[in-house]
Amino acid sequence: MTLIHVPQPPKSAKNPNRPASSLLKVQIEHLHNAEKRLPLRHRTNTYINAIRTEGEAAEYIREVTEAIHKAHKEAATPRSLDVRKRTKMAVVTGKRRARTRPSGAGKQSSSRRREQKK
Amino acid sequence: MPPGLDNLKHIVVLMMENRSFDHMLGSLKAVDARIDGVTGQLANPDTTSALVRPQPLAEFQGQLDPDPDHHFPAVDLQIFGGDTSGNRVATMQGFVKSYFNQRRDIEHSKKIMYYFTQKQLPVLTSLALEFSVFNRWFASIPGPTICNRAFAHYGTSFGRVDMNLLYVNEPFKSIYDRLLSATPKRTAKLYYYDTTSSTMEITNLLQHQPELFGTYQQFLQDCRRGTLPDYCFVEPNYNDHDSDVGEELASDQHPDHNVQAGERFIAQIYMAIKRNPSLWASTALLIVYDEHGGIYDHVVPPECIPDMFTASANDTGTGKEFRFDRLGVRVPAMLVSPWVPKGTVVNRTFDHASIPATVTKWFLGDYSPRSPRESGADVFLEPNVQSVDPARNLLSLSTMRTDCPEFDV
Repeated sequence: MTLIHVPQPPKSAKNPNRPASSLLKVQIEHLHNAEKRLPLRHRTNTYINAIRTEGEAAEYIREVTEAIHKAHKEAATPRSLDVRKRTKMAVVTGKRRARTRPSGAGKQSSSRRREQKK
Repeated sequence: MPPGLDNLKHIVVLMMENRSFDHMLGSLKAVDARIDGVTGQLANPDTTSALVRPQPLAEFQGQLDPDPDHHFPAVDLQIFGGDTSGNRVATMQGFVKSYFNQRRDIEHSKKIMYYFTQKQLPVLTSLALEFSVFNRWFASIPGPTICNRAFAHYGTSFGRVDMNLLYVNEPFKSIYDRLLSATPKRTAKLYYYDTTSSTMEITNLLQHQPELFGTYQQFLQDCRRGTLPDYCFVEPNYNDHDSDVGEELASDQHPDHNVQAGERFIAQIYMAIKRNPSLWASTALLIVYDEHGGIYDHVVPPECIPDMFTASANDTGTGKEFRFDRLGVRVPAMLVSPWVPKGTVVNRTFDHASIPATVTKWFLGDYSPRSPRESGADVFLEPNVQSVDPARNLLSLSTMRTDCPEFDV
């Protein structure tokens, strides 16, 4: 079985200050478009026209890609927990209202109150 | 049934960036005359009409600056040599002229004709010689990355020939959706390098189905554990960056990224599969490039079945509309499997629509709806049915090879 040597590229091959290629710029535009559909708390508020280098592009790409994943994960959280919370809160609120309101009293409409005054 | 097809459980596609067939594999004509690479008769005129011949002087980095233009109008010039008449003929004589337009430097423009020697690309050339190399795999359209990659995911680019936002039009589903919604359900994944590199398929897949995606590290893990999905698409690293594990060099080979980094990445994908014996025996790996990157190739892209979309004259930027009835420039492509005979050379015509065509036919059989381009595309794996055409079956060996090369990555 032949073992073939694969040379390592030189250290100088890496250049985060390289101007961002047209491909990376397009990737940034597409991510920026996707970012606009995310909830506000997940947006990066980055002015993408200021991105010039590959390093700057890489940072933005990472932020938005991770934001998309995070937003989807949050949205996929089981809703049954939320329903239970809301139900529990409604029950507690209802009990509090019952304790503070006099027996038999209810909220009257304004027309009924005017009638009673007459 | 051929045992290679009987054993096949996984199809893996690795799509690299922006290099032509002659540029990467042209040197192999001298090793195997059946490989349609570079000869001494090939040439392109420069802007003084002097003929420029291909030369084995390609460098790993720093040579093709600026990035050669590979958008639709430039590729039109490269293919038709500047002829815009109604009955024009494709001549592949416009590459040097096209590259001259970017820097106005005659000597520099000739570098678009340079190609790599076999020694410079030990991984790609070894895989091409050891397994199956495609003499006629073309980009799906004579244009840039996003639309060409769309053909690999959807079998169409939905009428786009540019890099603008590409929205999926029903009813053509991605290959991933088809597999995941099949009965019985199939598995599919896209592996991007990491979140800093991300994917090029953002508008439809990442934005709406991020759960489809995994990372390169997950790919390696899935290979080790034997949990690779039925079909997966692997994207290289698109940018230089730092990560938790250290410096990450772009490995997509898009100019001006280092070509050697891409060689290592290809070798790592190959070895990840090979190191798991049961995975190696049951996987077919297709290595292909999305488009030629504006770099010289001598083979005229053929006409093809038109897609149902038309790109307007405004969208093409050439003053002519495009009916998706001609393929893009030729790209390197090879199929790797221990069931492929050494030195297989394939002369049938393929493009990236062949990817969803093949994967769909293999895992789902008859399926519709599909785009006209995908329906008309050839498949690189024969369906494992009663009568497999031996002339078309690339996984044709009756026993698995034990002499496949390994790389020290």
